[in-house]
Amino acid sequence: MTGLKHFLPLVAGIALVACDKVDQPIPPGGGGNGGGGGEAVTRRVLLEEFTGHRCSTCPAAHQVAAQLKNFYGEQLIVVGIHATSTFAAPVVPPNPDGSYSTDFRTPAGDAYTTAFGVSFLPTGIVSRKPFNNSMTLAQGNWGSAISALIGEEAEVDLWVESIDHNAGANNVGAVVKAAVLKPIPQDLHLTVYLLEDHVIDWQINQQASPPDIPDYDHRHVLRTNLNGIWGELMVGAGAQPGDTLTLAYSSVPMDPQWNVANCSLVAYLYRVDGNEVMQAVERKFQP
Amino acid sequence: MLHEPRATWRALLSIALVTTVAAQAQEGAQISGNFSSDAQYYNEDEDINAVVPPERLSAQGWMNLIYTYKNFEAGGRFESYEPALAGYPAGQPYRGSGVGYRYAKFTVSDLEVTVGNFFEQFGQGMVFRSYEERYLGVDNAMDGVRLRYTPYKGIRLKGVVGRQRFAFDNGFTKGAGVVRGIDAEVSLNELLDSAWTSPNNLTIGGSFVSKFQEDRDPLLVLPQNVGAGALRANYTTPRWNLYSEYAYKINDPSGQNGFIYKPGQALLVNATYSTRGFGASLGAHTFDNMFFQSDRAAPTPFDLNINFLPPLAKQHTYNLPATLYPYATQPNGEVSAQGELFYKWHKGTKLGGKYGTRLALNYSVAYSLDSAATNDLTTTRQGYSTNFFQPGEDLYFQDINIELRKRVSERWELAFSYLNLVYDIDIIQGKPGKPVVHTDIVILEGLYKFNARNSVRFEAQHLSTAQDQGNWVTMLAEFTFSPHWFLAAMDQYNYVTTGETFLEDGKNEVNPNRLHYPIGSVGYIRGGNRFQVNYGRQRAGIFCVGGVCREVPAANGLTLSITSTF
Repeated sequence: MTGLKHFLPLVAGIALVACDKVDQPIPPGGGGNGGGGGEAVTRRVLLEEFTGHRCSTCPAAHQVAAQLKNFYGEQLIVVGIHATSTFAAPVVPPNPDGSYSTDFRTPAGDAYTTAFGVSFLPTGIVSRKPFNNSMTLAQGNWGSAISALIGEEAEVDLWVESIDHNAGANNVGAVVKAAVLKPIPQDLHLTVYLLEDHVIDWQINQQASPPDIPDYDHRHVLRTNLNGIWGELMVGAGAQPGDTLTLAYSSVPMDPQWNVANCSLVAYLYRVDGNEVMQAVERKFQP
Repeated sequence: MLHEPRATWRALLSIALVTTVAAQAQEGAQISGNFSSDAQYYNEDEDINAVVPPERLSAQGWMNLIYTYKNFEAGGRFESYEPALAGYPAGQPYRGSGVGYRYAKFTVSDLEVTVGNFFEQFGQGMVFRSYEERYLGVDNAMDGVRLRYTPYKGIRLKGVVGRQRFAFDNGFTKGAGVVRGIDAEVSLNELLDSAWTSPNNLTIGGSFVSKFQEDRDPLLVLPQNVGAGALRANYTTPRWNLYSEYAYKINDPSGQNGFIYKPGQALLVNATYSTRGFGASLGAHTFDNMFFQSDRAAPTPFDLNINFLPPLAKQHTYNLPATLYPYATQPNGEVSAQGELFYKWHKGTKLGGKYGTRLALNYSVAYSLDSAATNDLTTTRQGYSTNFFQPGEDLYFQDINIELRKRVSERWELAFSYLNLVYDIDIIQGKPGKPVVHTDIVILEGLYKFNARNSVRFEAQHLSTAQDQGNWVTMLAEFTFSPHWFLAAMDQYNYVTTGETFLEDGKNEVNPNRLHYPIGSVGYIRGGNRFQVNYGRQRAGIFCVGGVCREVPAANGLTLSITSTF
């Protein structure tokens, strides 16, 4: 039985590192503006949340996104992308009560679903950077993935200089600016989303009874892209600190059903090679 | 830091090739393997909302290669998903082609060492089971080191450490968490040898498993090390087998339990009795908060499971009960029981007749836990409290079934089955708002032998229910022309109801969409090779193995399956 000595270190080792008992799950002083601050411009994080009005487990993920948004404030930008024909398309044949008749899907959302291999809902992509070897993350990993990026010193700053909404023609224009803070090694593309917040419509919720909710508050809904699915070049490789770049958009049509008071633009810069989002910003139509 | 498996594989392959060359002149070296492949061409079929991937043709295949020389063994599995079949696998996507499994193993004296990938199980698997279920698309193989040691006869020790397979992207990828575990088992019969004169045996065992995953969550303090332990005992006599296992898991907040910190626990007991012509078993278990995954935020319930919770319900093989309303274990909480009886009337008796008669009775039931919410998600996050092993008010599943099987002549054998199911489709299949399904299923199976080599087997199945999709009929005929050919045809018909309208789920009156799902198959077997071609409609349904189920989408098209062994 001398071989037992080989196992004793293993047993002892496992016993020593076996368990962490947590009595206070909520960290003290939690909530509010985590990660940001300081003089330096920091990297804001983009959370693209893939969801659907017929996805019964998605409302639990909406709660996580709301908690994280509440915690990180403006350092975190959340976008709700309604995707997949199974969970986001209108129900066929239509229900007699008109439930789930809205089509929240967008061409851009469909393209991202395919490109990033979204195979389950709810799922999220954090600044389009893999975390734990996976680009698509369940909501339990969003906070960890965000905390790994947020507050990093940014290589570029980005802001929406102006939003021009023409109520008569019901279209929108915008000016987006970027300031280079560090030498840029790769081309950065700019994509601009138009979001509508607080869209009241049906949502199925596994945790509710009854599960069909007619007046669910859909947050941060992606409505359209101002400059195409994959955006356009804004900051070329080799840009140096001090460079400032501007892109302007005009007369992008809006759906008259969208509530302008709840609309905002989200602009982000991402590396063409690998898709990682290096900076993001959100500005509401009406502050 | 996650490691790239391909470099390791190349190194192992090189070693294996060198070893092969070196072993060519030596006796005892062996190489064995097998291959299997499934391909499917998808047709458009709007009537059944058939899935059609952009590629139109999906093909996936696996090849195992194992080299053995004396006390050394090395092997690997090449996998290809170009792309994977629609609905496959159950968990994270499999894409591309590459090595999905590779290992090397040797045994010296009483010690066995495995490096690379391995499968392992402690007890019934309630705290650790690493396994592959190919056609379910579940593979949580470990990648690391395993030791098995027998310091004395009757004493078996195991130790494992590594990470689990997560997905496949031109090679297997690994999950975030590290899994460490030990197991010890003592068999008194073997240990005491000649001092143990009884024909009975007592085996006792215990295991402990711990996972590590970094905590970077900004909103919660998460345990980075989560441990689980189990104790088990198995007493056997020539006629009795009594088994019990208890498992306990410390706080393990995860996506599957809503990030609550309540400890988990599980207890199972099982007793079986068998003698010639008669068998009986009685079992019960309770699972409370027993999801145990090496990534606390694993995307789906199929990913990175460290443990396995065995089901306590009959795994039906007939088409309708197996694919429409199979039970899936509820790791978050269930209290289940099952009783089975088997009896054979021997030939020559009044009920046995000339050839004998077999009767099988089975009853299984699963309830929710008797629990109460503690409303403490902003403080201690225990989530709920429970009364251990007390069933709650919600009936998840109930199955009463009987099967009578009798050979009635030299050429004919018949089997009759009746099943009565109660099925909470909301809980089991995650369809909130859908009412509980109550269904009766009647099945007649027959086998007619034309001669010693040729036969036909048929099934006629009928399912009736006022819920979900309504009534179904399945007819199947399968001709076998031994030893090489078989031919089969099957149709599933969702005739819903004989009326003009159908009260869907007992609520909405709709016009029934009466659909047929015909499919034909032809197969050829020769040597170690098997070929099968199917053409027709595949109904959307559920495919389950061992209480783990995945959804299968509706499809229409041609499928080809090939298996080969050498």
